[in-house]
Amino acid sequence: MAIEKQVPMREQDPKVRITNFDSVPLGYSAEEAVKEAKRCIQCKVPTCETGCPVRMDIKDIIQLIADEKFDEAFFLSKKDNAVPAITGRVCPQEDQCEGKCVLDKTGQPINIGKLFAFVADLARKKDLVEEIKIKENGKKIAIVGCGPAGITCAVDLRKLGYGVSIFEALHMAGGVLQYGIPAFRLPRDVVDYELSFLEKIGVDVQLNQIVGQNIGFDELQKDYDGIYIATGAGAPRFLNCAGEKLKGVYSANEFLIRVNLMKAYKFPDWDTPIICGDNVGVIGCGNVALDAARCAKRLGANSVRIFYRRTKEQAPAREEELEHAEEEDISCEKMLSPTKIIGNNEGWITGIELVTTKFVGIDKSGRPKPINVDGLKFEVRLDTLIIALGTTPNRLFLSNVEGLETHSWGGIKADEHFMTNIPGVFTGGDALTGGSTVIEAMGNGRDAAEALDNYINK
Amino acid sequence: MKHTITKKEVLNGADFLIDIVAPGVAKRFVPGNFCVLITIPNGERIPMSIQKVEGDIITLFFKKLGKTSYELDTWKVGDEIYKVIGPMGTPPPIKKYGTVVFASDLVCGHAENWAMCDILRKIPGNHLISIESFPTEADVYPDSELCESVADEFILATEDGSRGVKGHYLDVLEKLLKERKIDQVFAGGAIPPLQKISELTKKYNVPVYTTVRQIMVDATGMCGSCRVFIDGEQKLACIDGPMFDGQKVDWEVAISRLTMFKTKEAVAMDCLNAKMKGVK
Repeated sequence: MAIEKQVPMREQDPKVRITNFDSVPLGYSAEEAVKEAKRCIQCKVPTCETGCPVRMDIKDIIQLIADEKFDEAFFLSKKDNAVPAITGRVCPQEDQCEGKCVLDKTGQPINIGKLFAFVADLARKKDLVEEIKIKENGKKIAIVGCGPAGITCAVDLRKLGYGVSIFEALHMAGGVLQYGIPAFRLPRDVVDYELSFLEKIGVDVQLNQIVGQNIGFDELQKDYDGIYIATGAGAPRFLNCAGEKLKGVYSANEFLIRVNLMKAYKFPDWDTPIICGDNVGVIGCGNVALDAARCAKRLGANSVRIFYRRTKEQAPAREEELEHAEEEDISCEKMLSPTKIIGNNEGWITGIELVTTKFVGIDKSGRPKPINVDGLKFEVRLDTLIIALGTTPNRLFLSNVEGLETHSWGGIKADEHFMTNIPGVFTGGDALTGGSTVIEAMGNGRDAAEALDNYINK
Repeated sequence: MKHTITKKEVLNGADFLIDIVAPGVAKRFVPGNFCVLITIPNGERIPMSIQKVEGDIITLFFKKLGKTSYELDTWKVGDEIYKVIGPMGTPPPIKKYGTVVFASDLVCGHAENWAMCDILRKIPGNHLISIESFPTEADVYPDSELCESVADEFILATEDGSRGVKGHYLDVLEKLLKERKIDQVFAGGAIPPLQKISELTKKYNVPVYTTVRQIMVDATGMCGSCRVFIDGEQKLACIDGPMFDGQKVDWEVAISRLTMFKTKEAVAMDCLNAKMKGVK
């Protein structure tokens, strides 16, 4: 039997979308969603579900969509996932559910992400809220950080009856969903709506609360029965090469925080500015690098070039983002590594010196190890450089917690039940793992909620 | 939380003072900390030095410099600031130093001067000399906001000599360094003189803490915009500073990076001017 092809996702035309920050995918219509869901062969053993970090009932949800029971599909997805409209958009499905789909072998897996986003978007339009009966258990949990891990942990614990307070350092909730991922990938009305769920179920979200600065960690220890640290990995990694101090050189974090959290693309209606030149270079090829590159394009950059020391096939970015970037005329130049950033007398960047790399052996990540080839150096003219080499846990919070054990790379140490060396204090998300995806952090949050519950009830 | 303005006062032709209700910041503030202000929902996160804390109220000094401060100058008592966040930063040790000089020549520096003198003077064994310099007599703050009441000795200087001692704080300090034994210098205000004070104190072998003002975005250690180089090592002014050993700071970079958004700041000012004209 011939396998029907995936129902294609309608998208904004690349020429148009590089002039705005609106969503690139336009979303399935109900008809398209049903047609796509009907392609699912409803495997006896749904391998797709084994690929899901929060263990959603993917097979049953797809069947409900195929049966046009969209509300039920939404409620079932919410059972395991607090923010399905978000994960439907930002999960690396090709490595998870869709990668494990039996049809993936044909190159045409079920478009699970887009189906789930459709269901959640429809529920949002209908303002559909599942009824959750919460039986208060009288215990209180403090969560530090309102990103994906903290949010998921909060929802799970709240459902179990805990009083949950989340302490968020920034002036908006969401963590990376707010400051990191651009609106063209994750529209802000989606984020706002999904996060409003926290309030609906009675989670107390306190913004501008920087634990250790305006509220002591010891105060939390005194006032709460348990603590979950989900402070993420918010500190940028730099190249540590000459010229990094020049004006026009940004960490990807700074570039994205200016654009996403502070809305610099709406300057001067919004106060925070950004300077993005005609010729932009981006170092690195993960999702953050692509987000920054695509933001630069939308800020009016003429040429945006990604320089990566490996090949595109080894890049950690999602497939869909790589394709989108290419459609937007962003080049990805492989096997290149920066050696120094060049500037003028006024302290502005004018270019970058790159060296060709080659593979020698295998590195710790199991991928071929790129090393610089001596002598193969050349210069590229640039007005703006964005460094997207990943992030490390923010030492601001860590320095404020006395006695908390951390790894040399900055991550928090925890046992197999996610408990730190301080009894009753648990951790997860990027603060524990150093850097992963939204959904993995959410999976972490779920596991920690279970562990915290077990600990308190032992 | 409502961050209401409870007092607003003119300091000079360009500078003004406001008191804001901010219990979260007030409770844990230590001189050397700063706070972050978002005046309106569309606003920037701007780092601000704190002059003093009384109960739930913090006092901040502003200079009409850019869009946010010009706009804020039109606000009145009873108006509300959108968000006040902090305290942020790592203060230098609050301890016994001996004879301490705090020198300042600009709005934020004057606020820091007050806060630091006020706390250090209470530590036995410290003797606080505060120097505040202004361009000319008309710029000098009202007596009640000068550091005279919080320091053991107070030297007012104007660059043209129209009031107090003639000269910049650098001139006053050099004289002090020549004549007396000074154990520690602190300085805040305009950046180029901070580079000079670092060279000057080095010459006299006296340590100096300087406030390295830099452009910040989140001010929580996430963006790296405020990176400064201390003895060649990258630090962040928002979480490691903003007070650093001035003799180790790469001042050329600090001075250069402060100008990065100059063109945009001018655009924001033009828009504000156009808006204000429209209102009239």
